[in-house]
Amino acid sequence: MDYDDVRSRIIEEASKCSYCGFCEQSCPTLPLGPHRGYGPRGRVYLALLFGKKVLTETREFRKSVFTCLLCAACTLNCPAGIDVPNLVRLVRHVLLGEIEAA
Amino acid sequence: MTGEIEELKRLLGRDKVYDDPSVVALYSREASGLEGNGFLVVFPESTSDVSAIARWAYKRRIPIYPQGSATSLSGSAVPGKGVIVSFERMNRIYEISVVDSIADVEPGVRIADLNEALMTKGYMFPVDPASHVVATIGGAINTGAGGMKGARYGTMRDWVNQLEIVVPDEKGTVMRVGCRTVKCRQGLDLVRLIVGSEGTLALVTRAVLRITPLPESSPTVMGFFDNVEDLLAAFTELKTRRYPLLLAEFLDETAVSIAKKGVAGFESVRGHMFLASVESNHEAAERIMDDMVAVLKNHGASIIYTAQSLGEAEEKGLLTIRRRLFPAQIENARRFWGKSNVRVFIEDIVVPPSKLVNAINELKSITEKYGLPYTLGGHIGDGNLHPAVGIVLDDKKVVEKAHEWYVEVMKLAIRLGGSISAEHGIGLLKKDGLRLEMEKLDSIKALDIMKAIKRAFDPLNILNPGKLV
Ligand SMILES: Cc1cc2nc3c(=O)[nH]c(=O)nc-3n(C[C@H](O)[C@H](O)[C@H](O)COP(=O)(O)OP(=O)(O)OC[C@H]3O[C@@H](n4cnc5c(N)ncnc54)[C@H](O)[C@@H]3O)c2cc1C
Ligand code: SF4
Ligand code: SF4
Repeated sequence: MDYDDVRSRIIEEASKCSYCGFCEQSCPTLPLGPHRGYGPRGRVYLALLFGKKVLTETREFRKSVFTCLLCAACTLNCPAGIDVPNLVRLVRHVLLGEIEAA
Repeated sequence: MTGEIEELKRLLGRDKVYDDPSVVALYSREASGLEGNGFLVVFPESTSDVSAIARWAYKRRIPIYPQGSATSLSGSAVPGKGVIVSFERMNRIYEISVVDSIADVEPGVRIADLNEALMTKGYMFPVDPASHVVATIGGAINTGAGGMKGARYGTMRDWVNQLEIVVPDEKGTVMRVGCRTVKCRQGLDLVRLIVGSEGTLALVTRAVLRITPLPESSPTVMGFFDNVEDLLAAFTELKTRRYPLLLAEFLDETAVSIAKKGVAGFESVRGHMFLASVESNHEAAERIMDDMVAVLKNHGASIIYTAQSLGEAEEKGLLTIRRRLFPAQIENARRFWGKSNVRVFIEDIVVPPSKLVNAINELKSITEKYGLPYTLGGHIGDGNLHPAVGIVLDDKKVVEKAHEWYVEVMKLAIRLGGSISAEHGIGLLKKDGLRLEMEKLDSIKALDIMKAIKRAFDPLNILNPGKLV
């Protein structure tokens, strides 16, 4: 399966992010994780790099993507109106699809 | 480099050192939109960790880049080729003393978290950048940040009593500069040298901050004006009546038309917004409020909202409208370009408040030439304006235009007797602007002195190199 159109959707949504970090205040996983990747700002930026295929799918990248609770608490504070959980779902979709295909 | 990284892992422990490219990428970008190229992120958990990092960097001559929450808008937090030192794990509040009026904290504490702790004691830390929910104390100190209450409480430089710092030398020397008390004559004032130094002089590992009581009462008014001159005349009159303005905020009509969307009770407002709040005791609050309303009415405000305190202003949505400046700037750009992937270029000039009319009018005519989507907001209480234009990054011509606009706006500030940066700092983006300003002041030697000070703290130029001067 060709995931390029899903990747374009990921890029479209994730490039709205200004990296302001306003979303981080409400994320339940950020304080439990060892770095920014466990919060919405990090997840959105990694999604962007993943969408653009400029990042290898490292261990920490997977942890970031699969520790998201999809709770959407972060969306309440995002001035750009980014749907973080949906973005994470799309990234998971591509990742898992590609693993299966391989 | 592997040997050096392994050495650092041994020194600090593996869980504090990350070379995973995903993690490095997350700490190589900041809110200005700039991206850097660090190759390692370290997460010190104590002053001795920071000292070990500074020692290691000195010995190996490897640049280190301190970082709080990377919300910098100047390029100051974006790393070059080197090691990012993230202070996010150093986030303990050691002590809050009402009697001494201080809070003793680590640099990774977020400003909003400090204020939550202080609120239980009826106190506050009054420097409140719009980014306070995420911005850290270390980042705010090093940016010399300000906020909405700047008219009354100034900026970070007025609220830091004492600092613990680490300098990059062979020992990773730890020092305490300044005093726990406000009064302090400890030779040259190194504390205020570090404040606003953008991580170029020292790594801040602990800070004793001043705190102040929450105002007993703060009568607040918000009015909407058809023209800027009337709005500023109202502001001037409030000042001449000797009210201690806690905040005096401005949004232009474009920002208002977008910011009001979805805030109940503000459907019919239009024009430029003026929000003013005065610090007072309970007894005087009603009298001051009536007077403020009269002043706004006399100067032609169409619709006026009031609140007895900032808490009530929050509940009624008055502060929400003001806080929506940033999303409104984004939305305005999206509408103009007809796409969601836009960036907003936020300026940060300051002019003497007596020059605000000239500044606001000239900003408008300058921006019209460029044909870019424009919004203006600002802390008029202290003369700090944040004009912003929206751009699309995939069009080089637009990016160039925005850059030219940026330079012209800085020149305007200098011409009006103001400065190119009030609170966001110099970083990478305003180095040329700083030179322009010092040239205009016929004080270029000041830049040489700044460079000499940098060498005294950081002889190998390994601490956030390339920033500020
Ligand atoms: C939407 C938005 C609104 C903003 N509004 C305001 C505003 O109203 N007023 C204002 O002043 N700013 C504002 N800013 C800019 C910025 O958020 C603040 O200046 C903030 O204080 C920076 O904090 P930070 O933790 O993100 O620092 P960072 O961006 O991570 O770092 C800022 C600087 O401090 C240095 N630094 C960080 N920690 C340390 C340390 N422990 N030791 C040595 N150096 C260190 C960094 O190297 C860098 O030079 C805004 C930004 C955004 C995105
Ligand atoms: S949806 Fe994911 S990123 Fe957003 S708050 Fe919940 S856990 Fe955090
Ligand atoms: S609040 Fe929205 S725009 Fe800001 S960092 Fe989070 S996802 Fe990005």
